[in-house]
Amino acid sequence: MELLRELLDLQHQHGHLADEHLETLARSRDVPLYQLEGLVSFYTHFRRTPPPQRHIAVCRDVVCRMQGCEQLTRDLVGSHSPGDEIEVVEVSCLGRCDSAPAVAINDRPACGGDPNQLLDDQGDDEVSCLVPRPAHNWQSDPYHEPADRFGLVTRLVSDTQKDLASTCIDSLTQAGLRGMGGAGFPTGRKWGLVASEEADTKFVICNADESEPGTFKDRDLLATVPHLVIEGMVLAGLAIGASRGIIFLRNEYAIEMALLESALVDARNRGILGPDAAGSGQAFDIEIFVSPGGYILGEETALLEALEDRRGEPRNKPPYPGQVGLQGQPTLINNVETFALAVPIITHGADWWQDQGRPGYSGLKFVSVSGDVLHPGVYEIPVGTTVSELVELAGGVPEDRSIKAFLPGGASSRFLPGELIDTPLDFDAIAAAGSMLGTGAVIIMDERRDLFELATNLVRFFRNESCGKCVPCRLGSDHAVDLLESVAARSSGPEVLEELPALGETLLQTSICGLGQVALVPILSMLEHFPAEVPQA
Amino acid sequence: MISDAPPVELTIDGQLVRVPRGTTIWEAAREVGLDIPALCHDPGLDPAGVCRMCVVDVGERVLTASCVRECVDGMSVTTGGETIEEHRRRLVGLLLAEHPSPCATEQRTGDCELEALGRQHGFLSPEEPVTRTKPQDTTSPVISVDHQACILCDRCIRACDDVQSNEVIGRTGKGATARIAFDLDRPMGQSTCVSCGECAAACPTGALVGKTLTLPVVSRDDMTRVDTVCPYCGVGCAVTAWTRGGTIVELEGRDSPVNQGRLCVKGRYGWDYTLHPHRLTTPLIRRDDAYPKGPLSAEVTSSVPTGSPRKPGGLVDLDTVLPAFREATWEEALDRVGQRLTEIRDQHGSKALAGFGSAKGSNEEAYLFQRLIRAGLGTNNVDHCTRLCHASSVAALMETIGSGAVTNVFADVARSDVALVTGSNTTANHPVAATFIKQAAKAGTDLIVVDVRRNPIADVAKHFAQIRPGTDVAFYNGLLHVLCRDGWLDHDYISDHTEGFDELKSLVLAEYSPSQAEAICGIPAAEIEAIAKTLGRATPPGGGGSLIVFWGMGISQHVTGTDNARCLISLCLATGNVGKPGSGLHPLRGQNNVQGASDAGLIPMVFPDYQSVADDEIRARFEEAWGRPLDPEPGLTVVEIMAGALERSIRGMYIMGENPFISDPNANKVRQALSSLDFLAVQDIFLTETAEFADVILPAGSYFEKTGTYTNTDRRVQLGQPVLDPPGMARQDWQILCDVSRQVGLDSDYQDVSAVFDEFASLTRNYQGLSHEVLGETGRLWPCPDPETSDGTQILFGDGFPTASGRGRFVACPFIPADELPDADYPFVLNTGRVLEHWHTGSMTRRSKALDAIEPAPFVSIHPEDLKRLGLEDGQQLSISSRRGTIELAARADRGVQSGSVFVPFHFREAAANTLTNDVLDPDGKIPEFKVCAVKISAAETPGDMTAPSAPLG
Repeated sequence: MELLRELLDLQHQHGHLADEHLETLARSRDVPLYQLEGLVSFYTHFRRTPPPQRHIAVCRDVVCRMQGCEQLTRDLVGSHSPGDEIEVVEVSCLGRCDSAPAVAINDRPACGGDPNQLLDDQGDDEVSCLVPRPAHNWQSDPYHEPADRFGLVTRLVSDTQKDLASTCIDSLTQAGLRGMGGAGFPTGRKWGLVASEEADTKFVICNADESEPGTFKDRDLLATVPHLVIEGMVLAGLAIGASRGIIFLRNEYAIEMALLESALVDARNRGILGPDAAGSGQAFDIEIFVSPGGYILGEETALLEALEDRRGEPRNKPPYPGQVGLQGQPTLINNVETFALAVPIITHGADWWQDQGRPGYSGLKFVSVSGDVLHPGVYEIPVGTTVSELVELAGGVPEDRSIKAFLPGGASSRFLPGELIDTPLDFDAIAAAGSMLGTGAVIIMDERRDLFELATNLVRFFRNESCGKCVPCRLGSDHAVDLLESVAARSSGPEVLEELPALGETLLQTSICGLGQVALVPILSMLEHFPAEVPQA
Repeated sequence: MISDAPPVELTIDGQLVRVPRGTTIWEAAREVGLDIPALCHDPGLDPAGVCRMCVVDVGERVLTASCVRECVDGMSVTTGGETIEEHRRRLVGLLLAEHPSPCATEQRTGDCELEALGRQHGFLSPEEPVTRTKPQDTTSPVISVDHQACILCDRCIRACDDVQSNEVIGRTGKGATARIAFDLDRPMGQSTCVSCGECAAACPTGALVGKTLTLPVVSRDDMTRVDTVCPYCGVGCAVTAWTRGGTIVELEGRDSPVNQGRLCVKGRYGWDYTLHPHRLTTPLIRRDDAYPKGPLSAEVTSSVPTGSPRKPGGLVDLDTVLPAFREATWEEALDRVGQRLTEIRDQHGSKALAGFGSAKGSNEEAYLFQRLIRAGLGTNNVDHCTRLCHASSVAALMETIGSGAVTNVFADVARSDVALVTGSNTTANHPVAATFIKQAAKAGTDLIVVDVRRNPIADVAKHFAQIRPGTDVAFYNGLLHVLCRDGWLDHDYISDHTEGFDELKSLVLAEYSPSQAEAICGIPAAEIEAIAKTLGRATPPGGGGSLIVFWGMGISQHVTGTDNARCLISLCLATGNVGKPGSGLHPLRGQNNVQGASDAGLIPMVFPDYQSVADDEIRARFEEAWGRPLDPEPGLTVVEIMAGALERSIRGMYIMGENPFISDPNANKVRQALSSLDFLAVQDIFLTETAEFADVILPAGSYFEKTGTYTNTDRRVQLGQPVLDPPGMARQDWQILCDVSRQVGLDSDYQDVSAVFDEFASLTRNYQGLSHEVLGETGRLWPCPDPETSDGTQILFGDGFPTASGRGRFVACPFIPADELPDADYPFVLNTGRVLEHWHTGSMTRRSKALDAIEPAPFVSIHPEDLKRLGLEDGQQLSISSRRGTIELAARADRGVQSGSVFVPFHFREAAANTLTNDVLDPDGKIPEFKVCAVKISAAETPGDMTAPSAPLG
């Protein structure tokens, strides 16, 4: 952590990392030069050349592509002269798909609509064009008044009758809460496993590195209910016996970080964090680690590698982080939403949680809705709500166009055809329909959309974000993109795509981590449901 | 990691397998004869699991990489089958699609592992070459990099990091654009790479390939392999030499307890000297018109500049030297040597003769050489370069523990709690031993480095103490003070196994408190306390703990060299750290056979195996063995012999494989001494600077042309095997020595060189039982009472010492300053030593293409602040003078050198460091003070690339 933080500080100080900065750092920290090279070339946030006055980053990924990022980039490049101190670059998902096409100027979110305005924008703390965040009144927040916050942990600590750890773990297990970061591992079981590990040092890590196209729910949770995330982490820390918590936050969320930081200060002022956390007699505090950039860091072992100042390349598993995590110690890693939801579940009990779902379903879910809807954004829905109901909540499809296809769980979920729009949003129901709920990122594509182009874009995203550690992902994703682009350019016939299913199976079977395993999922499902979309030579 | 836990049972392809817990599936499969394919895995490296070729089915959702997956009870593994093979085939296909088949390795040795897998899976050679999108890098003098052939298996990264601890290679970039990089993505030749070649040895494809040094390397089937040992340093790495067409084409590391297959740049790439056109091929006799004698090549250095031109530096210039000699037959040359030596003996007595043997020669040659001088010429005036390296260490060891050899092998540092490295630029001078020390430090051994220079080994140290030159005794007395004061001692060991502790204790307690030590050595008292506390880990209350001490010339080459070594011995004795695992005293031996040459008696005071020449009983035994009366008086040492030559008490010399003109202190004096001799015979492979003064030059076989045994720093006796035939009329040294012996009337009829070894071993205790036959592929550690079944004795002196009392002895040493300290006229301290790429007087390494390319010219390391203060610049040609001479060479800014000191490597004849050094001796070890003399520095009068002043012979 220290080394990457020092690199980020150096970059902040100098605007870039020149050789002499790195050589000095290598000497003072006694680290080999190659390690610094490995880090600064791997993480997208670092740059080796002096920055221009205006560095304009335009998201190139699926939702922004639907909203015209290509044209915007062309306009931006075309409307400034080479002498201008302006650099326009295409980047991976900025986590603001609800304001697509998403743009950042000098690492601050900006308004993507008008190229001329972007070129002139002097930077402003208030970003007026971002979708205004409604005054949320989430069902999941048990606290109506700020003064009531952290009531749960305070109550559990002072209750000498009940064991905090088993209360938490039992509630979560009974409620059936599953991890909200995409993989859906049962939360109660995970807490229980880490709690049962014998070790002097354990860690709690909040994975706030959501970076998958279409996914931005954690961003809003961090901005609106940071106290729940913090309280969830404190409960976890007390339950498993950890004294240190880390929030691994993607660097594009600077605005949300400010809100999170003030919530941490508040929690410290109230004694919830600190040497005697919530009066428990145990120490627990939380620090924020700002990610140096890259989707792969959302993979939990890549995240650990980054925290250990190495390249964010996923580890071979087992062992899993619950046994061998940060610095080799048992580590509990949960998603932002998972920690936040733990609080209402333990507060109100598993029965309450189960009652929150639609009949036959259990619980609440935060979903990010983007693409072809009038009001993209984050919605808290009872589990079991159908996709079509969600689309209605989001204002429906513009001009009432019909829905051709949708992705129910972000970039790594399988395309589902529009006919399945009445599928309930639930882990099992979506799986039964042939896809996955994943991160709960619903991307709607209406009748005008070129699905081949969008699926290619998704594969390209995984290719771009592959860490390169293992052969199948590094070469397989690149090979697939080559084939898809050659078909799109009509330089190859569609028959070259016949090898993709077998290639996809090899990636699934042999890649180290989830990224490589799912890299071809978008195109394979698209080919399955929409073979007619493939360009013919 | 393999643990003591009960084994695990699993089935692999239906076979029941029982393996230790911690075994990977890949390893377990191999034990039952199933070879799972892998590209990124090498059993010598930690597994990485990145190529995914080794995937197997363990019944989970997806396949798993067997090289990284540990076996667990009840696991059922399927290693092959159509589906798995299909995935492997697809991965091979993806790799081959970018691979420039045939890659450089396939073209050379035909063993690119990727292309072999491709053939297995039925991929045909591509009809068209792949489109190159990745660069090639040929900037390294020894290794070619082809990124297109790289499969990012990370083997090179692990070899560089985990094996050699050089930490140069990593990955740069991400995803499909990732590739390996050196430092901050520098060209390899401009990076901090030390060219050890471990990466190229580990590379499965043609991405990292050794450059051709002689003829191209071809298929292993079309080359001849000879297993032998590296000719350079005392580490004694096992190597395999590959030859074809009458020449060596490649040297590889060979698995052995010594080096585990590792090599350094000299070992791997520095062997082509043996093929150099300068090799002596005919006996030479000095022409009558080439008298009076003097150096024949244009003068190299002088303290008396005259402004006459000289050629730029480098090797001895044969064009100017050879005309002074005429070719002769062996018969005439041998006859001349025998006649002149006997004449001098008869005229001036045996004591007017002397011989320098060499620690580069074999045990057999050393034995024959001292036998020739002692029995043939009747004098004990026989010495060799150990006098210049560890004579003081040996003096201290003999005095205190009764044996001059190491008490434990270097690799045992893996078991040490604490390791001390002092006065040793280990990564340059014992590079492969350094890899073991660095590995241990990374794995938890607390490493303490004490040196006047900050050398790379300090990078992995817990403590680095940069002491003032020549203040070692004060520093170590300060440490001993804290150990005694705070009771961090092994009291039982001290009382059971040592003597003299009270004297030591009262001296260090009275006079060497940390602050008193600080005043002398410059290390802050608090740091001395901290280091002593770390040493306390080596002697914890209740027993246990371990400390191993490594030292080099920074300890020994002082007027207080023996005192310095005594202090280190006291540290080990006081903490009870001799004779147990992870503990001991290890003076790192310089030459490949400095241990063996000493064992074999190339020392003026002792016969083979350190048996005193003054002892009547011992002498009688050798007189009987050699059939000649022997001199009961110990002979003169190296520097004393040179002084004797200068004052004409020494009239004739026989020098085998040594080059005192460059290696001995105060070169101008040496030059006068050599030219004063009535007769000098030189036996060597090149016409060295010393041979310029010879009357007869005898052409010898190089290391690669002979059979013989060599004893490394660990006491491991290893067999060197001939790889090539000697060129021209050159002969193996042992045969020449037998011929010369016969010329002076000493019977020397040995059936072969192994018979010489047998005779030598029979006259010793430590080599008893050893023979060429029993040494095997990886040698034996002496003493080795049962060589048929045992590797020999790794750790000596677990229960007492071979001293008169059976106890180890503490010797209290008060601090004595160096002989020549800086003053207003000569304000800098000069330190001399070696660099990684060169060997001693450069006669071998400067004739090696690769080594010469990396480090071609002399330089002086100087602190950048000193340069600034003197108004000089990095790279500028400087003039350095001592009271004995002047040299000119380029400045090299180096923050590792402390301000007020400079460092000059002594390999370079055109700026011979020993022109400057002080030939004052340590009173016990008789070793000169190479490490401290006073010099002054100024800009050179002539620019660097032009000519420099020269002087006629005085």
